[in-house]
Amino acid sequence: MSKIALAVAAAFAASLTVSGGALAQEKTVVIAPFGVKTGVLRLFGINSEAAIKAAVEEVNKAGGVKLADGSKAKMVASDYLDDRCNAEEGIAVVRRIVGTDALVAVGPTCSNVAEPLYGILQKKVDDAKDTGLQFPILTDVAIKVGLAKISEWSFRNVPSELTMYSSLYYWLKSTRPELKTVYGGVEEDFAHSRASWHVVMKDRANANGYQVLGESKWLLNDTNFSTQVREIKKANPDILSIAAHPFTTCGLLKEMQRQGVKPKLVVGLTSTSSLETMQACPKQAEGMIIPSSFAPVNKEAKFAAEQTAKQKGSADLHSMASWENVFIIKEAMERAGLSGRKDSASIQADRRKLRDALAATKTTKGLLGVSKRTEDREADKPYVFVHGKGGVWTVLHNPL
Amino acid sequence: MFDFIQAVLDGILFGTIYSLIGIGFTLVFGVMHKINMAYAAASIGAAYIGLVSASAMKAASAWVVFGCSLVAGGVLGFLVYLICFHLIPLRNENATLMSTVGMLLLADELISHATTGAPQNYPATLEDVMFRFGEMSMRGDLVVVFGVSVVCTAALLLLLYRTRLGLATRAVAQQPIAAQLCGMRVAQVNTLTFVITGVLGGIAGALICSAVGSLSILLTGPLTVKGLIVTVIGGLGSVPGAIVAGLLVGGLENVFQHFRGVTERDMYVMLLLFAFLIFRPGGIFAKGQGRD
Repeated sequence: MSKIALAVAAAFAASLTVSGGALAQEKTVVIAPFGVKTGVLRLFGINSEAAIKAAVEEVNKAGGVKLADGSKAKMVASDYLDDRCNAEEGIAVVRRIVGTDALVAVGPTCSNVAEPLYGILQKKVDDAKDTGLQFPILTDVAIKVGLAKISEWSFRNVPSELTMYSSLYYWLKSTRPELKTVYGGVEEDFAHSRASWHVVMKDRANANGYQVLGESKWLLNDTNFSTQVREIKKANPDILSIAAHPFTTCGLLKEMQRQGVKPKLVVGLTSTSSLETMQACPKQAEGMIIPSSFAPVNKEAKFAAEQTAKQKGSADLHSMASWENVFIIKEAMERAGLSGRKDSASIQADRRKLRDALAATKTTKGLLGVSKRTEDREADKPYVFVHGKGGVWTVLHNPL
Repeated sequence: MFDFIQAVLDGILFGTIYSLIGIGFTLVFGVMHKINMAYAAASIGAAYIGLVSASAMKAASAWVVFGCSLVAGGVLGFLVYLICFHLIPLRNENATLMSTVGMLLLADELISHATTGAPQNYPATLEDVMFRFGEMSMRGDLVVVFGVSVVCTAALLLLLYRTRLGLATRAVAQQPIAAQLCGMRVAQVNTLTFVITGVLGGIAGALICSAVGSLSILLTGPLTVKGLIVTVIGGLGSVPGAIVAGLLVGGLENVFQHFRGVTERDMYVMLLLFAFLIFRPGGIFAKGQGRD
């Protein structure tokens, strides 16, 4: 009996030694994705999470992340945390992430979360008086213009709507010279939509010589668009530029169909070039043109889309930015020369090194080509113009 | 002037949607003196089940979807009653209020998970049909909604005033203890009330999604708020009041939007609610006996 007990104890001790040894050998670098996984924007979170999982898998298949001592560490994406598109919850989520061994966060989905969130980060590095969080965040989705400049710890890999809409109106001016007037439709209570019309679309249309006739407004939860469509009908614009998300964009397009309002061209918001719009109003979105920083137009983009689909997500301009972020982080980590140690001083030192590496990045390799990094930590990404055709988004023009 | 009249007309027609939801709220209140906060969410849930069921049968025409939604609405109505009322002590008014708020959030999240939050295309009853009178026009599908709400109200009134079930329902609403002493099964009447309002909710949910053109959880919050406003303005427990209040709120909403813009619109609707609570707490059809 005592022999059996001894054998069991020996086997148990041996197993502990083996697993302990394996654990000691496997170094990890942790990234922390977060965004929306509940409510009406849930699909954004699902797609980003799937893309990040797929990209991390690819990084590890290729050997992981090289550390300063030449060893390799496995990249680990922690659980995707839900901020419910709420600023307070987003801040709470990031504070929670900062308490872990994560070196960087990827998120958030919503601009109304990103803006206050960047506000709690240290504004300028090495400012001893500023007690803000010293933690790098590389945003994949929140797209409102000019947010990354808030803190030197905030970075974004989102397309520049200013560049894209400028290019789109310029292209329309040259290819459709008969179009002279633009009218806006804007979801007035949503930060991204509002900024996209008032700061981007309207301004870019004017700059390209279009006459802006005015705008109709509605709210994110609105269901009745009869008044707005009558306003559009009255303005009789050549181009209708809609700065709204799929639910209200589809509501408006359906009401336009009922009232027989047919502008010569409809331009949509970047975020609307997604599966959601094609689920809700494929017929009405036919012909709508949207600039997008993703389309499966080459081998890499198709591969990323396929791998994301295997993780039950769909590829769009937002989720594919999440995919790209993983590779941007991997490359920056290797340049930074991380220690990979897990004591709090080393973790903070690695975060700082990673921030500096991200700040020093001049270009990144994206799925549609090379993205330039700007001085204020934003991306200048390649893009294409897509349009609704036969219930899917297809590339209409590649301006680059 | 033309724009104003058209805006009011559009609003009144869209107000039929609020009426349909208001009827469900008010009927439950009339019988049980309780608010079912989950009503609008359950209605949208029923519309979603209807859509999925019809798609599974490969018969996604609007009327098949409506039929499935109606059945689903009845089942959900029963479940809401069972979970939020039957299993919870009715003596504690806050308990049922909170349980239905919980059910509202649960239903919301269930729809969000089932649809991944994405809006779903919903079949229309009369797609693209517009009735035109010179420069004025009326949406055909909203006329259908209006017609259906009138028929539903007539059916409800018939049920309440011409059947034994209606008699029992009214008796339970007025004097539940006396009704029980007379041999009426209060729990059974309450259950049937929830099933009937659930069926009505299924119809309302399907008609609303059809009128909007898509199903989304974005609908549940505003419909709950509007349903409650309509119930208060129409008078708690008054079915005709809910109908008139729905049309009134719909019409005034567009008037406020016309004059003050979309960002101030809801503020004035809320002020209207407070005006009723202070000056006419019994609702539109209440006798002018005062606030108590």
